[in-house]
Amino acid sequence: MNLATHRKTVEFVLDNLVWLMLIVVLAAFSATIPDFFQLGIFVNIIESSTFVGVMAIGLAIVIIAGNMDLSVESVAALTAMVTGILFSNRGIGLGYSFTPEWLVLPISLLLSLVVGGILGFTNGWLVVRLKMNAFIVTLASYIWVRGLVVAMSGGRSAQDLTPSLRVIGIETFGYIPLIAWIAIVSFAIFTFIMAKTPFGRHVTMIGGNAVATFRAGIAVDRLIVVTFVLAGAIAGMAGWLLAIRTSGATANLGVGMLFQAFAAVVIGGVSLKGGIGQLPGVYAGVLLLHTIQTAINLMGLPAHYTQVILGGLVLAAVLLDTVKHSIRLRLA
Amino acid sequence: MKKILGTIAAVAALGAAALLSPAMAESKGKIYYMVPTLLDEFQTESVSAIEKFLKEVGYEPVTLNADNKTDLQQSQMNDVINLKPKAIVLAAVDFNALQPSVEKARAAGIPVMVFDRQITATPIDFTSVAGTVEIGQVAADQIEILLKAKNGAVKGKVLQVLGDPSDPYTLDIQKGFEEKMKAFPDVKIISLPAMNWEASNAGTIVADQLVANPDIDLIFVHAAHLAVAAVASMEAKGKKPGDVLLVSSNGAPVGLDLIRKGWEQVEVEQPLYAQAAAIAMFADKVVNKQEIKAGTYKVLGLDSVLTIESWGPNLKIPGAAITKANVDEARFWGNLKAPADPITPVP
Repeated sequence: MNLATHRKTVEFVLDNLVWLMLIVVLAAFSATIPDFFQLGIFVNIIESSTFVGVMAIGLAIVIIAGNMDLSVESVAALTAMVTGILFSNRGIGLGYSFTPEWLVLPISLLLSLVVGGILGFTNGWLVVRLKMNAFIVTLASYIWVRGLVVAMSGGRSAQDLTPSLRVIGIETFGYIPLIAWIAIVSFAIFTFIMAKTPFGRHVTMIGGNAVATFRAGIAVDRLIVVTFVLAGAIAGMAGWLLAIRTSGATANLGVGMLFQAFAAVVIGGVSLKGGIGQLPGVYAGVLLLHTIQTAINLMGLPAHYTQVILGGLVLAAVLLDTVKHSIRLRLA
Repeated sequence: MKKILGTIAAVAALGAAALLSPAMAESKGKIYYMVPTLLDEFQTESVSAIEKFLKEVGYEPVTLNADNKTDLQQSQMNDVINLKPKAIVLAAVDFNALQPSVEKARAAGIPVMVFDRQITATPIDFTSVAGTVEIGQVAADQIEILLKAKNGAVKGKVLQVLGDPSDPYTLDIQKGFEEKMKAFPDVKIISLPAMNWEASNAGTIVADQLVANPDIDLIFVHAAHLAVAAVASMEAKGKKPGDVLLVSSNGAPVGLDLIRKGWEQVEVEQPLYAQAAAIAMFADKVVNKQEIKAGTYKVLGLDSVLTIESWGPNLKIPGAAITKANVDEARFWGNLKAPADPITPVP
């Protein structure tokens, strides 16, 4: 094997390390945990990864661009509540419908994307125009948007989502629930956008070195705002999916998902410093987290272990990232 | 002329307002209600009920939400103590952690009434509870009946979905339930917590367990909003109402809806209205530091037993099992029809 081939192989392994980890973990759990090795469980893992997975796409794009978005969880909760209130038939649901009935699908999705996009634009505008720190701006959004959810709902829940929307949460295609297909297709689309389009390359360049990218004639500020709008809109879609899955919305829906999304992004190999990261790795990170979660469910271990393992995994991922970086330097 | 008429009208309006609101004019003072969170329907409705009933007996209620944060509730208690209200109604985020705050309030001469979430480690001026352990026990009684009807004997597999594992409320329900179920060794109980009381976490647990244990007979969830997510997962797995039995607790509106639709068989109700009414009924006695006598009291028609415990007067109001047969009765708070009759203070 010549040096170039050797280098390529090592690079490939480093880039896909999280997938290897996922395969090893799946194999280990299949061999040791009763009832784990079956199609239904694998489908459940894919299905339960949907919401954090979709949320993590937007988060990863913002982080790759060298910023931070802590608001995605609350944005998802807001769009879930908006969907729940407008299209549920019980609780605080208003039970709106359309003729033909299926129109509720595109309209509710569009509404969620718009609501999420507006919140994302607000974050991006404050960061770019007013030069405010992204961490603080999105932390504030994380708090006030969740507050808005509680205020809108008055602490009550909207339940019994219209069947035209529920169909996404119930029906399957090729054994995999439609809801999970939406996550898979979203990952495929954004992987293509980030890897094969000028937009994706420019976003990665901004995260690597914003000044150099600006000097290269690229509209850095505009692209940063676009990344925030995307993160908001995608989080909005995550909320829409969450409402469909739970057939409505409660004021605490989605609580804790921000940290899972962050963990998935880091485990998936996205550098918090920006400029490095691929979306397939993020999806593997989400699947890895939910594989562990499912294993804990099946073993009947106390749920606290999930958090202990999650924290350990994030730490291991950061350490691994450091090791990968030094290996890459040596290869160069 | 217009100015004069306007002034006369304003004065008349003020006078009429003063005459029409004697309760406000003769307010007996402020009572603070420390609600643990507004993220679930029980707590939200408890605010409406306690405020309504306290106003009816002449007090001015003020509610503070602790957002499920123990430290926040502790600092709220400190703030309220400085405001010297007539009394504090506490539904603690954490039973143990709030004990020093209760002691501080009482040392400052402010009586503390405990609502719903019992504190037994320190003296309390009045406690109004359904008993979380008892809720678990009532659920166990109902589950015993349901399993016997389904399997011919009390046997089978039960999936118990708890709330957040750091919340003593859910741990108490689990304690009461599992203690009673010990009598039935042929019932296998799988217990898993839904972190943060978050519905999609409960949905995931149910989805996983229905695959790993397709012979689950019954699912017992510790809150009605979790039952909704459990049903969504059952539906996604192709189950029909009644295929897997479902029991829930707290009596929220969504739980009652699930009973009407046939997905849920029993909802163990926390008698929210009666618990709140009892606070108002005994408020004068507590504020005026009068003796509260043990015995049976009628609270919104429910026979409730008041005992003098080591921590003080403790009124226990029986929780009810809601089924398809009685689901529409107005007495259940899940139907959101607060009692119209005014509360009469205990003489």
